[in-house]
Amino acid sequence: MTTAGLHRPVPEGAPPPVAGTRRDRAATGWRLARLYLVSRRVPMALALLAGLGVLLWAALHWHWNIAGGAAARQFIPLTIQTGAAAVIAVTTYGPFGEPERAAGRWLPWLRLGAAVALTAVAFGALAAGAVAGGMPGGTLALLRNLGGMAGIGLLSAAVLGGAFGWTGPMAYLLITEGALAHGSTTPWVWPARPPHDRGGAICACLVLAAGLVLITVRGPRESGRDSGPAS
Amino acid sequence: MTAATAAPVRHRTPRATSAIPLNAARLLRIELRRNAMPWILPLIAALFWFDSYRPSTGTAQLYGLRTFWNMGQGHTIIDFGPFVAGVAAWMGSRDGRRGLADLVTVTARPRWAAQLATWAATTIWAVAAYLVFVGVMFAWYAHQSVGGTPPWWWVAVGATAVTAFSAVGFAIGAYWPSRFAAPVAAFIGFLAMALSSQTGFNYTSGWGLILPTNSNGTFDGNAQADSGIFYPWLPDLPIARIIFLAGIAVAALGLTGLPARAGGPWLRRAATVVTLAGVALAGTAVGLADTARLSAHGMVIPALHGAANDEPIAYTPACGRAAGMPVCLNPAYRRWLPDVTAALAPALAEVAGLPGAPVHAIQVAAAYPSGGSGPPQVITLGGHPPVLRLSLGQLDMPGPCGFCGGPIATELFTEQLRLAFAHAFVGMGNGSGSPVQQAVQAALLRGAGIPFAAQPRLLAAAKNGPGAAAGPATGPVYAAARGLATLPAAAGHAWLAAHLAALRAGRLTLKELP
Repeated sequence: MTTAGLHRPVPEGAPPPVAGTRRDRAATGWRLARLYLVSRRVPMALALLAGLGVLLWAALHWHWNIAGGAAARQFIPLTIQTGAAAVIAVTTYGPFGEPERAAGRWLPWLRLGAAVALTAVAFGALAAGAVAGGMPGGTLALLRNLGGMAGIGLLSAAVLGGAFGWTGPMAYLLITEGALAHGSTTPWVWPARPPHDRGGAICACLVLAAGLVLITVRGPRESGRDSGPAS
Repeated sequence: MTAATAAPVRHRTPRATSAIPLNAARLLRIELRRNAMPWILPLIAALFWFDSYRPSTGTAQLYGLRTFWNMGQGHTIIDFGPFVAGVAAWMGSRDGRRGLADLVTVTARPRWAAQLATWAATTIWAVAAYLVFVGVMFAWYAHQSVGGTPPWWWVAVGATAVTAFSAVGFAIGAYWPSRFAAPVAAFIGFLAMALSSQTGFNYTSGWGLILPTNSNGTFDGNAQADSGIFYPWLPDLPIARIIFLAGIAVAALGLTGLPARAGGPWLRRAATVVTLAGVALAGTAVGLADTARLSAHGMVIPALHGAANDEPIAYTPACGRAAGMPVCLNPAYRRWLPDVTAALAPALAEVAGLPGAPVHAIQVAAAYPSGGSGPPQVITLGGHPPVLRLSLGQLDMPGPCGFCGGPIATELFTEQLRLAFAHAFVGMGNGSGSPVQQAVQAALLRGAGIPFAAQPRLLAAAKNGPGAAAGPATGPVYAAARGLATLPAAAGHAWLAAHLAALRAGRLTLKELP
């Protein structure tokens, strides 16, 4: 038995540790962000987003189109965008609950930063996949659709819990397909609108903004705090 | 020996077999209470209403049309399947996510058995919800007096598909205990449905018929409205799909019993057998679907076909009168009887009393297209005495028409029926007829209230669909028709009586017209 590794307790009356330098604070901040990202399984999310980008590239390159009208032509690209939004929504799930909320003063900012960064990465991955050509609506439609769907995912994470945030984008996909099949043109179903349509873009931005605000301020629904499916 | 008799009697301890089902039932009850599926059901219910029920209400009140979208093209499965797969993956990954895998492995009950209880609870919720939602939808259809019988076999296919999605999702969750297992399982479910639709649209025969969103040969064709009205919904293809989906479910569940921690060697061997049996079942179903052939009443798979399903459905016809002639329809079409009699009355009045004129009109089942000579005629005339046979299932009936540009106007239906009658009366068959037959048809249509100027549009629409380009009502045919139409009614009637047989045989020329 040795005393190696033991730390001497701080004697009573000793002055508190001096606040760190700017470099120390940066290191602490980086460590906090890294731990947060790891706890949200962001590395796995990045891998999945990269996989979705590859899948989109394969679908466009080998023309995995469904025969039929607009709904059929857009189904596979929209499904892949939905998958990306679902991944972003699920990363909001945290296992720590109350202790994290009580101790983490930076938690809202971390939630906001992670959601924005993942949305940007998802757009980058899918835009890279769309290089294969033939993406319905082009990059602008991709940005609008993905942003709006990510907003829906964040909203559903706030309502149902992070673990079930994926249900919102998936449900929206079905609604979009129904609207495309039956010729609905409401701007709230923005994938059914042309890429330069202002109404669709405004609605998608509103939903994304609402999702980001809610996930930042309130966070995802948690099983310990609220009853829900993630229990 | 005395010692032996003096020894106390040792009662054998009763085996605990009776406790096993009780424990299993308790475990299942706990899993049912702790399941995540009920939380998702409100969302699925909303989607079901939006995607499966709502579009169907825009179609005519016949089960073949009402259920084309939600059962034939599998939208009830699309609404349920991916979400069920996602939730099942969440439940399947539960022990692994919570770091309890080692703890539950050392309990008395094999881990595979406990996992199956979790899966069973998830599936019970999902299938029960599916049956309730579909039941409510059909009850509402019945309230709206939708004609025919519901496609129950297709409901069974949907319930089995939900079970298969649940099993596959659960297996994904069991093998990959991650928070991302649920969205990935749901995403795979959506992609599977997309690929099923993509492949299904292209396959009108062969193995592609096994895909759950393929409506070819079952809900498609001109006779889609008459399945469950004149003849039963054929169960052959649904049975093959049930076998296929059940095979997938069994194989997926067998896979969850293969890891070392699932149970002892015997249990894992059993899981291997179960997996292989599931694969064999699915493969058998694909092989069965490959043997399917299109009959007049739908897809027939010889190995699964029962002769009893070829028996027509008995019914008491709903009858009315048109120009004094009885017109009888299947009761499922009763709501359109006034439209049919009103449409036929002027045309029948023109030919009343002629030797080849019909004395009775009955509705017959629309047959599935059997290829070769194009779509069958809507109206045929034959027999002694002549009987008019109306295949109304081939027409869009007046009122809502979900898969058309808009509702079908009564005027359009009336014109189509009169054209079909005149076409049949002059004996044109499936072709476009001789010039004389065309001229007499034009004269009959004019007499029935369709002016010459409107006829080219009507003929073009009947041939190439609504909105087809039509030329003017000119040329020798219309000139001859105008000559025939200017005759006094009695003279025209007398000419038709004298020349009807020759007209139908195609032996007349335009010069022989009065």
